Amino acid sequence: MSAATQAPWHERRQLLVWLIPPLLWFTVFMVIPYCLLFYYSLGSTEYMTFKPGFSLANLIRVFRTEPYLSVLLKSARIGALTALGATVLGYPVAFCLAFHTRTARAKFLIYLLVIVPWWAAYLVKAYAWKTILGTNGLLNALLLQLHLIHEPLTLFLYNQFSVVLTLIYIFTPFAILSIYAQLERIPTSIVEASSNLGASTFETLTRIIIPLSLPGVIAGAIITFALATGDFIAPALLGGSNAIMISNVVINLLGVAFDWPMAASIGIVVIGVGTALISVAHYLEHRSQARF
Amino acid sequence: MRELGSRRKAWTLGWTVLAFLYAPLIVMAVFSFNDSEFTSLPFRGFTLRWYTMLLDDDRLLQSVWNSVYVALGVVALSTLFGLPAAIALDRYEFPGKAWFARIVLLPIVLPGVITGVALLLFYMALHLKLSLYTIMLGQGTGLMCVTITEVAARLQRMKKSTEEAARTLGATEWEVLIKVTLPGVMPALFGAMLIAFSISFDEIAVTYLLTGRQNTLPMTLWSILRRQATPEVNAVSTLVIVASILLICVGTWLSRRGSGEPVEAPG
Amino acid sequence: MTAIIEVRGLQKRYAGSVAVQNLSFDVTEGEFLSLLGASGSGKTTTLRMIAGLEYPTGGQVLFQGQDITNLPAAGRKMRMVFQDFALFPNLTAWDNVAFGLRLRINRPRVSAAEIKSRVGRYLEIVQLSAHAEKLPHQLSGGQRQRVALARALVTDPPIVLFDEPLGSLDASMRKVMQIELKRLHRELRKTFIYVTHDQEEAMGLSDRVAVLQGGELLQLATPEEIYAHPESEAVARFIGTANVLTGTVQAGNGGFALQLPGGARISLGNGPADLAPNQTVTVMIRAEQLRIRPAASLAEEGLVARVAERLFLGDKVRYELELPGSATRLTALDAGGTPRLGIGDQVLVLVEPSRVCVISPRTGAAR
Repeated sequence: MSAATQAPWHERRQLLVWLIPPLLWFTVFMVIPYCLLFYYSLGSTEYMTFKPGFSLANLIRVFRTEPYLSVLLKSARIGALTALGATVLGYPVAFCLAFHTRTARAKFLIYLLVIVPWWAAYLVKAYAWKTILGTNGLLNALLLQLHLIHEPLTLFLYNQFSVVLTLIYIFTPFAILSIYAQLERIPTSIVEASSNLGASTFETLTRIIIPLSLPGVIAGAIITFALATGDFIAPALLGGSNAIMISNVVINLLGVAFDWPMAASIGIVVIGVGTALISVAHYLEHRSQARF
Repeated sequence: MRELGSRRKAWTLGWTVLAFLYAPLIVMAVFSFNDSEFTSLPFRGFTLRWYTMLLDDDRLLQSVWNSVYVALGVVALSTLFGLPAAIALDRYEFPGKAWFARIVLLPIVLPGVITGVALLLFYMALHLKLSLYTIMLGQGTGLMCVTITEVAARLQRMKKSTEEAARTLGATEWEVLIKVTLPGVMPALFGAMLIAFSISFDEIAVTYLLTGRQNTLPMTLWSILRRQATPEVNAVSTLVIVASILLICVGTWLSRRGSGEPVEAPG
Repeated sequence: MTAIIEVRGLQKRYAGSVAVQNLSFDVTEGEFLSLLGASGSGKTTTLRMIAGLEYPTGGQVLFQGQDITNLPAAGRKMRMVFQDFALFPNLTAWDNVAFGLRLRINRPRVSAAEIKSRVGRYLEIVQLSAHAEKLPHQLSGGQRQRVALARALVTDPPIVLFDEPLGSLDASMRKVMQIELKRLHRELRKTFIYVTHDQEEAMGLSDRVAVLQGGELLQLATPEEIYAHPESEAVARFIGTANVLTGTVQAGNGGFALQLPGGARISLGNGPADLAPNQTVTVMIRAEQLRIRPAASLAEEGLVARVAERLFLGDKVRYELELPGSATRLTALDAGGTPRLGIGDQVLVLVEPSRVCVISPRTGAAR
């Protein structure tokens, strides 16, 4: 690597060859659209047409007016629960993959086993839960047959529970792979050293493995959080009216409600939060890398 | 010995979670053969009628083709622009590098809807009609970061000495790229292409906002699912899962052959 | 002298290969024993089976008479210094050393105050008190090595195992640490079992050396014994620079002589008692036992050879000598005194008969 400012002319030219195309692309397809977004958020709507303006009112409304703030918070809560649930479910499988598979072949097979549900279409998975949790669905049918209930329960579907459950289901494979990547980096000699000094499994786990893997695991959980918070499929299919999330609100604003400036404002807020999240995740990744 | 603790206890937990991951998929598959309108017990009888209904559905088949088309375009775009970006990020220092890196990573954490809205405004400002190409551009922007992350990670691990050796032997930058860097980066690039293809194929958030008259498979599925669920949907779902499995197996087999790299063995 | 560790018929077999076969030896309490061998010789595998980090596929490991073959590592009272040091990256040097003392198996016998004093003492012994609060990645290789050492010693184990601990250090650091380890062994009076591929290290540090090859034990003896009387050609070749020659015994006045193919003869004097004429034997002569003179400067009996190569090594000169009429080469290490010889010169090669060590027939190659 060389500092471009001191590099000879032909190296700087080489850098530009690499840098210009993607830079151009991102400027055209990201920076400009985001600027447009910001521009729209400053305006307002009048009689179904956009009226440009320079007011920060919309942006402020995102934080102060219902239902926006509460939807934002609810989405964040669902996102956090998803990240937590996926991490908790994912850790055992990642642990087995990293510490209890003996051959490379077995590792590969289990790895594939984890990837397959991830690859299966998102919509399909969300729909599967809808069928299972519904009043005519499998869960109720099972409970009825076992005589545990007398009539179908409606509490499984169309609420935050079903959304969180589905999202956890969707993101667990990703959590498994991201946690596995962390655990795999822990050298075997460290695990052996811990046992050699007399530590029990629990002690090795809590004093060495979890602390070492934590920054990376959290970085992955942050991405899960971001993706789950912004999801609109699960709430649309399974959320009913109790679990409307921020992306659904944005879609509504673009369509039926026709409040583009508001939609844009929410977009800007989300972009701001997203940038902050990346910085945090990045920092955590770096910290976990620096140690090894 | 890398084994930590009781193998049996660990795998009991592990298999439980894996069972949880597969249960709904198996349920879908089983009930796609159910001779009943409801995906529920009791299981009435074995039938293939939902599958035959599917095969007559032209709209569905067209949307599968559309999805493939879009995905291929997305892969091409993200590779074309992602590879140079990864090289620039890994091999060079330049002012504003940190910001560039951040912009590149942003689409990963942003809800697809937001990316879609921004691009929608952009297209509207340009009076661009929505089509499969607008979808391609939208998805491509987002998936570029996948390519960049994977390739940059691989570049970082690659030894620079091979490239330097090539340069001392008189290779031009272009030759170094084609003959040394690219082959070295191939496994990661290929993996990134695979991932990009699969994400694009399944993508709905950005697509939802940027679709014109032609639908991709997720969009078609979405409209079917919103209406009402006959087990025909189960059949679609099962087919999609089977296709995914086949694709993964083929893709993994190909990438293992191509790269010649063994999967990392346990310590 | 009690045997603190006994290894009986130890075997480690993997699918398609055997790392250790039928290994049996005792480790005397308080001794410094080295397991010496090339990579793939099974020395590290053996150490790991003693430590409980691998389980043997056959045979037994006994500790103070108790069978610990299948006892998990955490239950064994031996501490290991790993090749890559294996320091916990998330703990400071202090916490790394204190780690063992804070575990459940050591509570409540060790109080907090005792932990503090012990850790402090051992950090001082390895001269790292000033760096106690540093994290491993802030320490140099040599410093990390010493933390690993302190960590192993602080729980006062009867046995300390070393898995090529000095391999990743540079040459000068290595020499310093070797002396340190010998001193520690003498002062702490524990049993050290030390794995290395460096024969100089093994010979210099140990009370006894076990030479392994291909998963088998070739010879277990003191360094002096191994050096002067290797029991097999493999051991002979492994230690120092050896000339291994095969020929027939000839009887004559003045004792036996070894007739080499090509006509050269080496006097064996009266030789070992069980030599017989026309017997085929293999002998070893250490390179530094060969004296060379420019030919025809003295009328003594000896071999005539031609200088094929000359390497100046600083404290000695290494000569590769060609014997007439055969492809055999001899290596001679000359520590000075001989007038400078050049390539192509004819020389006389002299060796004390008592320095010629008969290796075979005596059970021959591997044991």
